Amino acid sequence: MTLIYRVLLAIVLIFTLWNLFTEGDLKNQANAALVLIPLLLRILMIK
Amino acid sequence: MKGNKFTATVFLIISLLCCFISGKAFSAMKEEEPIIPGSGVVEEKMLSEYFSPLKGTNGDTRIYVLKGKEPGGKVLVLGGTHPNEPSGYMSAITLIENAKLQKGTMYIIPRSNNSAFTHNDPQEGSPQRFTIKTSHGERWFRYGSRATNPLDQWPDPDVYIHASSGQRLSGSETRNINRAYPGRPDGTFTEKVCFGIAEFIRSEDIDLTIDLHEASPEYPVINATVAHERAMPIASKAVIELQLKGIQMGLEPSPKNFHGLTHRELGDYTDTLAVLMETANAAQGRLRGRTDEHLVLTGKDKEYVKAAKLGRLFVPYDENGHPLEERVGRHVTGIMELVKAYNEQNPDRGIVIENVPSYDELLNKGLGEFLNPAD
Repeated sequence: MTLIYRVLLAIVLIFTLWNLFTEGDLKNQANAALVLIPLLLRILMIK
Repeated sequence: MKGNKFTATVFLIISLLCCFISGKAFSAMKEEEPIIPGSGVVEEKMLSEYFSPLKGTNGDTRIYVLKGKEPGGKVLVLGGTHPNEPSGYMSAITLIENAKLQKGTMYIIPRSNNSAFTHNDPQEGSPQRFTIKTSHGERWFRYGSRATNPLDQWPDPDVYIHASSGQRLSGSETRNINRAYPGRPDGTFTEKVCFGIAEFIRSEDIDLTIDLHEASPEYPVINATVAHERAMPIASKAVIELQLKGIQMGLEPSPKNFHGLTHRELGDYTDTLAVLMETANAAQGRLRGRTDEHLVLTGKDKEYVKAAKLGRLFVPYDENGHPLEERVGRHVTGIMELVKAYNEQNPDRGIVIENVPSYDELLNKGLGEFLNPAD
């Protein structure tokens, strides 16, 4: 189950990163960058 | 300004930096506080010696053994069932670092839910650690969570069903070891820890088990001893002795229809006499103000003083708060009185514990005076 969870996280992480680099609006870029933090901490099983 | 690849890279670097800093802080919670056993400790064991599936997991925890020259009864002290209730594990540590046994055996588990020491409860603002000054420098101790780390057990169900009784509780209670006894060998991580502790009690034939807790000042079961019906004779004797010493202590029978707790399930599923004690900890209460080390150590909180004046609390509360040494003093004195009452009823299996600081000594000299040098 943990593996599935991490795969799902990885998919969301990739889409968020893609959004960060393709987004033209600065506020939305900042938003995507914020979303990355919990995704990264969870994928690394730190928190 | 419009977003572009350069701004995206800057944001990404900031995110990675935040991850690094917060990740380092979260990971630091895995470091265990040093416990310096006194000369009374003759052996250290691991819980996995009694239930091997715990080996190599965050559920494995150290058991300190203090043995007297003469054989006698066996008492188990459980600290750290809830690592956000510091007087419980600080009392266990005080015993590990000071107590000496003349007769019988005392087992102490200071970090009963080891996993719960590795994180804090979200949105509580709790400190990750607190420091106690001693005459030989400072000692630090962990302030953890009420429940198992979700990294060790997830996801929480919407409704937690206690395995042996079918009792229904809110989902997050699935990670509370004091709702998961007697545990299951093939259950969740938390149930396995409970099963390990129950197996230890059965294997070592423990006569008396004392589980140390704290509660919010607005919680009704506070400054209280909760006892399984078989333990009620010794608990009532101990409570009377505490009252005679001027330590206000209530006595509650373990509810027969409230399952998963030590005082119910260890009494039902093992031969031990199961007792639980509670002191007042403002740092885990709902009415508290600023939550920091100072609150953990002193229990001083002006919001609780206001609540006491409004008659909303179940313990007296004034500007002096309830300092940690007072709460530890209540617990260790309670343990000594419970053991004394056990001895009176079981003279052939007595337990004689010495060199434990008294309530007055802890209040007058402070807890730091009874902690060993950390090197």
